[in-house]
Amino acid sequence: MSEIVLENVSFYHGKDTPYEIKALKNINLTIPSGKITGLIGHTGSGKSTLVQMFNGLLTPAEGRVLINGEDIWKEPKKIRNVRFRVGLVMQYPEYQLFEETIYKDIAFGPRNMRISEDEIDERVIQAAEFVGLERELLDKSPFDLSGGQKRRAAIAGIIAMRPEILVLDEPAAGLDPRGRDSIFANITEYQKKSGSTVVIVSHSMEDMAKLCDNLVVMAAGEILMSGDRATVFSEPDKLTAVGLDVPQITQLMNLLAKRGVPLAKGVYTVEQAYEFIKNNLR
Amino acid sequence: MKSIALGQYYPSNSILHRIDPRIKIILAILYIVCSFLCKNIISYAVLALSAVILILISKIPLKIIFGGLKAVLFVLIFTSLINIFWTTGEYLLLDWLFIHIYLEGIYAAIFMVIRITALIIGTSVFMTYTTTPIDLTDSIEDLLSPLKKLHVPVHEFAMMMTIALRFIPTLVEETDKIMTAQKARGVDFSSGSLVSRAKALIPVLIPLFVSAFNRASDLATAMECRCYHGGDGRTRMKVRHIRFVDFIPLFIILILGTSLVVLNILGIGFTM
Repeated sequence: MSEIVLENVSFYHGKDTPYEIKALKNINLTIPSGKITGLIGHTGSGKSTLVQMFNGLLTPAEGRVLINGEDIWKEPKKIRNVRFRVGLVMQYPEYQLFEETIYKDIAFGPRNMRISEDEIDERVIQAAEFVGLERELLDKSPFDLSGGQKRRAAIAGIIAMRPEILVLDEPAAGLDPRGRDSIFANITEYQKKSGSTVVIVSHSMEDMAKLCDNLVVMAAGEILMSGDRATVFSEPDKLTAVGLDVPQITQLMNLLAKRGVPLAKGVYTVEQAYEFIKNNLR
Repeated sequence: MKSIALGQYYPSNSILHRIDPRIKIILAILYIVCSFLCKNIISYAVLALSAVILILISKIPLKIIFGGLKAVLFVLIFTSLINIFWTTGEYLLLDWLFIHIYLEGIYAAIFMVIRITALIIGTSVFMTYTTTPIDLTDSIEDLLSPLKKLHVPVHEFAMMMTIALRFIPTLVEETDKIMTAQKARGVDFSSGSLVSRAKALIPVLIPLFVSAFNRASDLATAMECRCYHGGDGRTRMKVRHIRFVDFIPLFIILILGTSLVVLNILGIGFTM
């Protein structure tokens, strides 16, 4: 079980230049173990900066980052090990593919961990399966694949390191609706099977409502709200104030409730709403 | 990395920032000429003073100026050492084994340091620190426009320079992003042998080249879509007009140059 805790973390971009910005302001946050946590926020709210704190790609200017109660910067020389434990899939990860074949590219992370060739092989095959890449694609060059397939390959490259915590920064950005649904389905499936902690960064409320048990809302470098999705979506005004929205279906159900239709709160997906209406409004 | 990304330009609201960039380029050239006019202690002192005044009116923090000089620190030390040990003259100061140090050598070293420092401060304060790169290339195009009569593709050169400068920050940002992504996959850029560090750059360079070529072809398509066909008949959105006040610094620098020449003729102090 792996839990991330941030204590009073602050971070500056462009420190000591005329362009200095405080990107994170005294962040206190707990990412619960074994769950899918959604990190939501408007563009520039500090989401991407925050996730780079989790695996030590950025060093907090103030405060501590703890994984299972242990400060990751206790031994700065061993920070690489933290990066194997917390796998981070960056935004548009398809641009990081560089090997001759997809197989080699997925194997790149595990190979940096210096594990045996047999185990690397096993991990690559399994990771490719998790993200739904067919076997015959593994021998192709990354540059011959479609955008969606490249994205999957890049995600597989991180999953193959078998991190305790998987962090994905906008995993579905720029994909068509089908590609997006299937990537999210793969991630949920992966989480269920491996039982690991997963963090997904997004600004789409619809997706987050479907996927995540737990939500963290960021605005202007601060944590605006955090908790399970019922708590977060119960305050739509607070969300709209920072340019975010509750899912459309939740909005609709809330409006219906206002008009006197006896509808339960806590409906976040169209499927839920369908079930609810079918059962209650005959 | 970030410091390259933002370039050398230092945003501020000084008089120097507001001078027409074309004038600033001429000023920089004239200032270089001035620094080579100096011949004796007094004129070098005037040159050093002018550099200090330049820094003061440009409102650029000393920290940044010294940061820029750090790059040439080695050259400064090297030339002064050569001057001290290899210049011969009349006044021998130290004669020990094979080391002969003459007074002339000391002077030559000091003069050389002042000249190089003033050169760098002058050009960077007039051009890079106070003028945006785009303004610079536009001005170079204007200043070289007489060459168009000789069928030199001035506009095309300026456009290439503008594009190159424009994409430096983008490429640096891209490099940063790819490096972070590969670090997340366990690449170690900062330790290990020279060979293993060089090898660690392969996962950065390949994606970087791929995206640079993609970007170049996208840009070419985008320019063609907007009917770009080179410099003929092309106008600018913002046309700069040189005002009378822009000539004042030109006069000042001409006065500086003349006074340096006069000081040389008067020949006060030690002359090289």
